[in-house]
Amino acid sequence: MKIAVCAKQIPDPANPIEYSNGNVVRPDEQVLDDTDRYGIEVALQLKEKYDAEVTVISMTKVGTEKGVQQALQMGPDKALILEDESLVGSNSLMTSNVLSELAKKVDADIIIFGTESTDGYSGVVPQQVSRILNVPCISYVKNIEIDESVTLTRQTIEGSEKINLPEKCVISVTASGVEPRYPNFKDIMAAKNKPVEIITKNDIEFDTEQNMNFVEIKDISTSKQGEKITDEGEAHQIIIDKLKEIKAI
Amino acid sequence: MKSLIIGEVNNNELSSGTLEIISKAKELSLDFSVITIGNSETKNIGCDDFTNTYFKSNSNKLNLSSCANEIKTLIEENNIELVLSNSSYIGRDLIAFLSVDFKTSPVSNVTNFEISNNELTAINSINGGESEYKVKINSDIKLLLIRPKSFEQTEITLNDSFETKEIQENENSIDVFDIHIEEKSGPQLEDSKIVISAGRGMVESSNLKLVEELANKLNAAIGGTRAIVDAGWMPYSNQVGQTGKTVKPDVYIACGISGATQHQVGMKDSKYIIAINKDEEAPIFQISDLGIVGDTLSVIPKLNENL
Ligand SMILES: Cc1cc2nc3c(=O)[nH]c(=O)nc-3n(C[C@H](O)[C@H](O)[C@H](O)COP(=O)(O)OP(=O)(O)OC[C@H]3O[C@@H](n4cnc5c(N)ncnc54)[C@H](O)[C@@H]3O)c2cc1C
Ligand SMILES: Nc1ncnc2c1ncn2[C@@H]1O[C@H](COP(=O)(O)O)[C@@H](O)[C@H]1O
Repeated sequence: MKIAVCAKQIPDPANPIEYSNGNVVRPDEQVLDDTDRYGIEVALQLKEKYDAEVTVISMTKVGTEKGVQQALQMGPDKALILEDESLVGSNSLMTSNVLSELAKKVDADIIIFGTESTDGYSGVVPQQVSRILNVPCISYVKNIEIDESVTLTRQTIEGSEKINLPEKCVISVTASGVEPRYPNFKDIMAAKNKPVEIITKNDIEFDTEQNMNFVEIKDISTSKQGEKITDEGEAHQIIIDKLKEIKAI
Repeated sequence: MKSLIIGEVNNNELSSGTLEIISKAKELSLDFSVITIGNSETKNIGCDDFTNTYFKSNSNKLNLSSCANEIKTLIEENNIELVLSNSSYIGRDLIAFLSVDFKTSPVSNVTNFEISNNELTAINSINGGESEYKVKINSDIKLLLIRPKSFEQTEITLNDSFETKEIQENENSIDVFDIHIEEKSGPQLEDSKIVISAGRGMVESSNLKLVEELANKLNAAIGGTRAIVDAGWMPYSNQVGQTGKTVKPDVYIACGISGATQHQVGMKDSKYIIAINKDEEAPIFQISDLGIVGDTLSVIPKLNENL
């Protein structure tokens, strides 16, 4: 079995996101999106079960590839990265086309995603890739049970449902249910020697275009000049009075 | 602009997100039709103001790719230019599938849109709701995923005149089992006038009974942060925020919640926000009308006693 697992590199979330001309400003050093750690964990559990080969796939700009290293440290075997400055600011469909091509290149049976990225959160890339590759899409997976077979639990609007892992599919994993593993010192050193192949847009077939024109970004962050009171044993009464005043009770 | 709304049936009713989009379409006098997706028998989801085709799927199958094929044909046959759906589970899957078919990226997290001179501009929420991002869409078919609570729901009279169409399987349909429907009791997050949410500052899951007691007294719905949902204190359906529900109650009481932007985006439009947090620097205070710097475990029991 071959598994491709996505690792999106994002600007360090500790800093505020900056935009230029509608695109996220990406420093040379980007880190692994935490939401992808959950997908990587699922990939590694499947690796242990089926002795599968796990390849990290990523689309990114030219840079230090710190985020991909962080992904490899968790335990995947290798990485295939498409680095291309011209794809900065890609819309979801462009990203999906690239990731589909990368999955094809590594001959993946199973392709694993986060449900939505921390910086972009368009939340449609996994489903788009499944449609492009014409395989079943198991979205919003929140749990995996592995015994003789592999059972996935997915979140639905009304609750949840279970599915047996098919031979070929796309899976998107929500940030809960599995506990991503932490690499130890040995894992961190070992990751440095793992094969990382870097290709560019010219190495794949690509004909998707931008279908949106950026108009503007407006800051709408609000802050209220509300009252702030330190509780000295009477705060409950202040809340009750307020609720009465605004006729909530 | 000829439009199609993809809605969903949840617990035998049109979801509130669907009704919000229909309200907006009526307000803009769009030429629109509706299809709704669900997997059980249902009744009053029709309306004299629009046609509704109910796409009924087999509940033992995950069948949305087949459903997308049907919708694709419908869009082509009816020269639909604009497709609107809720950014829920079903909506995101379907719109993503259609985006591949029509080679056009959807706009996600849309909070508003305008049409003028047959041009469509969409506003979507970015940065955990701190900024608005405006784009003009230049493809023939425009796909929008709308965030819940973006539009005011107006009065819509429903009846039982709608058409049902069974969704067939295709090669990408898969079997599902152990279907679990979360029990819904008490006021629901989306429509309750008061919401009380808990965060890690409730310290232990057993302390949530204090929040439950308060919710009972105020006839309020209960929400939570992702931190406590991940910790298993509460089911996912109670999560408020970017990856959970969006609520807009008259009163929102945040108990032991730091106020991360991803949480704020799901609740900051509440009319009156009360926060209880022992850290006076907690970001939740920046959007609160009444901030109590104090211990939840001391304030909430006293509220319960005195209400
Ligand atoms: C892509 C992405 C999506 C996300 N989506 C969501 C989402 O949908 N919803 C969501 O909520 N989060 C979401 N998050 C997580 C979010 O960033 C925060 O981690 C989370 O909201 C924090 O939850 P919390 O406030 O319960 O916990 P904490 O941040 O740990 O805050 C606990 C607070 O309780 C206070 N406290 C502690 N003890 C007491 C006490 N005894 N009395 C009073 N106060 C006390 C502390 O001062 C602190 O402010 C998302 C994150 C990412 C990256
Ligand atoms: N540039 C990228 N490289 C690798 N994976 C990505 C990239 N963009 C998106 N993904 C994957 O797709 C998921 C959904 O992303 P998004 O549509 O941006 O919310 C993410 O959680 C990642 O797993």
